[in-house]
Amino acid sequence: MDLQGQDGLLTTWREGWRARGVAGWLVAALLTGFYVDLYFTDHLEPAARALGLPSKWMLYGAIYSVAMVGGAIYYLRAHGNGRYHRVRVGVNVAVQIALAFLLPLVMPWFGGEEFYFSYLWPLDWYKLHPATLASLPVHLALYSLLGSLIAAPLLAWRFGKRWYCSWVCGCGGLANTFGDPWRHLTSKRAAAWRFERVAVHTVMVLAILSTALLALDHVVGERHETLRLVVASAEPWSIKRLYGLVVGAVLAGVVGVGVYPLFGPRVWCRNFCPMAAVLGLAQKLGRFRIRVKPDMCISCGNCSTYCEMGIDVRAYAQRNESFTRAACVGCGMCAHVCPRGVLRLENAPPDERVRLPLAR
Amino acid sequence: MRVVIVGNGVAGIEAALALRAREPGATITIVSEESDHFFSRTALMWIHSGQLRHEETEPYERDLYARERFERVRARAVGLDPEAHTVRLAGGLAPLPYDRLLVACGSRPRPTPWPGAELRGVGHFVTHQDLAWLEREVWGGPSRGGSPPRPDAHLAATDERSPYRPRPDGHAARGGPPRHPVVIGGGLVGIEAVEVLLAAKLTPRFLVREEWFWPLALDRAEADWITGRLRAHGVLVHLGEHVEALEGEGTLARVRTDRASYDADVCVVAIGVVPNTDWIGDALARDAGGGVLVGPGLETSAEDVFAAGDCASVRWFHGARMPEPLWYTARAQGRVAGRRLAGDRADYARGVFYNSSKLADVEHTTVGLVSMNVEGERNWRFEERGAVRSTLRVVLAGERVVGMNALGRRWDHAVWIRWIEERRSLAYVLSHLAEASFDTELVPPLVVPRDAREAPPEGPAPSVIDAPLPAPEA
Ligand SMILES: Cc1cc2nc3c(=O)[nH]c(=O)nc-3n(C[C@H](O)[C@H](O)[C@H](O)COP(=O)(O)OP(=O)(O)OC[C@H]3O[C@@H](n4cnc5c(N)ncnc54)[C@H](O)[C@@H]3O)c2cc1C
Ligand code: SF4
Repeated sequence: MDLQGQDGLLTTWREGWRARGVAGWLVAALLTGFYVDLYFTDHLEPAARALGLPSKWMLYGAIYSVAMVGGAIYYLRAHGNGRYHRVRVGVNVAVQIALAFLLPLVMPWFGGEEFYFSYLWPLDWYKLHPATLASLPVHLALYSLLGSLIAAPLLAWRFGKRWYCSWVCGCGGLANTFGDPWRHLTSKRAAAWRFERVAVHTVMVLAILSTALLALDHVVGERHETLRLVVASAEPWSIKRLYGLVVGAVLAGVVGVGVYPLFGPRVWCRNFCPMAAVLGLAQKLGRFRIRVKPDMCISCGNCSTYCEMGIDVRAYAQRNESFTRAACVGCGMCAHVCPRGVLRLENAPPDERVRLPLAR
Repeated sequence: MRVVIVGNGVAGIEAALALRAREPGATITIVSEESDHFFSRTALMWIHSGQLRHEETEPYERDLYARERFERVRARAVGLDPEAHTVRLAGGLAPLPYDRLLVACGSRPRPTPWPGAELRGVGHFVTHQDLAWLEREVWGGPSRGGSPPRPDAHLAATDERSPYRPRPDGHAARGGPPRHPVVIGGGLVGIEAVEVLLAAKLTPRFLVREEWFWPLALDRAEADWITGRLRAHGVLVHLGEHVEALEGEGTLARVRTDRASYDADVCVVAIGVVPNTDWIGDALARDAGGGVLVGPGLETSAEDVFAAGDCASVRWFHGARMPEPLWYTARAQGRVAGRRLAGDRADYARGVFYNSSKLADVEHTTVGLVSMNVEGERNWRFEERGAVRSTLRVVLAGERVVGMNALGRRWDHAVWIRWIEERRSLAYVLSHLAEASFDTELVPPLVVPRDAREAPPEGPAPSVIDAPLPAPEA
């Protein structure tokens, strides 16, 4: 009680819908079906119009916000005595509703652009496309450029990537609220960590490369037909179309959310999000760490089990090792569920940072 | 080199790992009756409630034994022959020869001292088999966390003295979960059993012999907070009540105390643990409580035999020799033992005592000499009831801080240990509290107003327990 620490014992594995029971599979099927429908058909358009919304994407934004609010209520009922959780989830939901739903909805009414302030490149991969930048008013183009390339990594260096991944980002926000009932399902195995490192950095490299190619195409594409065809054409196999389909729709939506009840809520964030990868590198070099009290851990496994990013926190805690993992989104749950108060998230003073090789 | 380790607990595994790091070629055999895999005994309560599954309480992935080339024997050790350098096993298995042996066989529940211990419905909460029993009593079968692999594999090679034998339950006869669960014993395991029953939406009766809960660690005011919280959850807490008998016809029906008789269908007896060493007999020198006496290097009375963990009687900071039934001490001893098994020199040096726990959702940290009746002891107390509810007690001997006991907030014990070793004063400690704070971010810091910082006057120690320090053994 008292603003930190888990109240009472959790009954997680006794609830079938949270423990890969029949109900869990059913929810997964429903979620996957919803995303397939959303991305690959226009069934939702009439419903959106009937509600007076400009497109199915706005309807999706509304559903998304409702799911996040519902999830936040669930989350705060389970862990809400923790002050860190209260503030963090409150901010995250507010950002989603204000910046990712209401503002884009009303801006066109005032003659402005529909612009999503809370999504930055490379998560919002289109934000730094030359064509996008060119179409924006200067201040928004500058926001996209400076926000994505300078501010986001700098903040991650200073406070950890949590400033984005679990305080601002909509994907992280949905995972942390609507997805919270399944957070223990993220695999903690060493093999899952190996997969994560390869996958997430591959997508990161692809995101950077493809953006660079699009920029190149913007400059010289007029004169190089093949380049234009391969990079930016409307062909289904062009880099632009393929990345949008594979990363934007399949990995972020269908797989990312569809499998919440089977593999935990951070499948996308952990294995595929290029933004998480970039910010993770900044975090590795920066000040954020999880501090471990020496020789207090009882190896119970609560921290690892409830880590939504699949970090085996216990492995560090039982070795008395304060640590910074690139994947950590700073949700604060390990410190919350630890029954012996062994863990503390903090932005360490510069001289006290843990220095670990980047590869770890 | 052939090394045998009796015990697959934290002491045994830490020793095996430390040994393997030094001796890649040694043959290491781990004898364990209770389980195939090393698991965290401290986590039994969460498996019961459904917060964790068995696998998640195992600190290493299950391929550990293959990766580190640890051989396993799932059987009960029933004797030790230091002359012949062999360990005898139950079930007619061939004796295991060793060049060096580590005894890390942990503790067993303190036996029930009242009539009725054998009744169906009576059990403990220490071993995997105890957990399985309480799961069946409450849920009618294993929790959703399933069962550990091969839960009964040791039954072919055990004997009737083993604490790892399955216990029959009364769930089927009752036709459901217990209606009148009782927990006896006001310590850590007792309160964990109470919490486990609460999580299953049962309202246990909690019988505590002492005048307040856990006097070994808490003073009356601190304990009142904890029992108050238990009562708020519906627990029927009885303090200062002595159990006299467990009664029933084959199955538990009542618990009789010096004050009354209560209906009871399940009873968890949690009155402490004792060293699990009766199988050793006279082969090793043991203390009066059964702990294997060890020297600074964890060596026993027999050549090439070491002991570590709950079963080892070590010398405490105050000179007495007794086991330290704690996780971190078992781990530290295991690491020393591993180096000893490899033939290196290493000593187990016990520093300032500390521990942390969680009592009915209230976090507890203790460091140094608390509830020890130190001569000239004075206790400075502070209670906070703002956004955070917490208590802080600093124990002084003369002007010097010798201990602290805190509820409700998180503290870095390492900083307190440093202060105690540096012989700091109360004034110093109170003006540097922020350094030792380990609260999560955004929790407002503890502020002790200036006028509350005075040390209490000298005088007789506000007696917390009457038992004096155990006398150091020769
Ligand atoms: C419910 C509970 C909660 C606890 N919580 C805490 C806590 O919060 N903090 C803390 O510091 N401590 C806690 N403890 C104490 C802690 O668990 C022990 O101190 C620790 O497990 C001791 O480790 P060990 O390796 O010495 O022995 P054990 O973990 O007891 O392991 C004993 C091993 O020996 C084997 N064995 C025993 N006898 C034989 C035999 N004759 N033949 C073959 N094999 C044998 C068993 O199979 C087992 O593998 C708790 C204990 C319990 C029961
Ligand atoms: S750090 Fe805390 S939660 Fe994690 S294993 Fe250790 S005691 Fe358990």
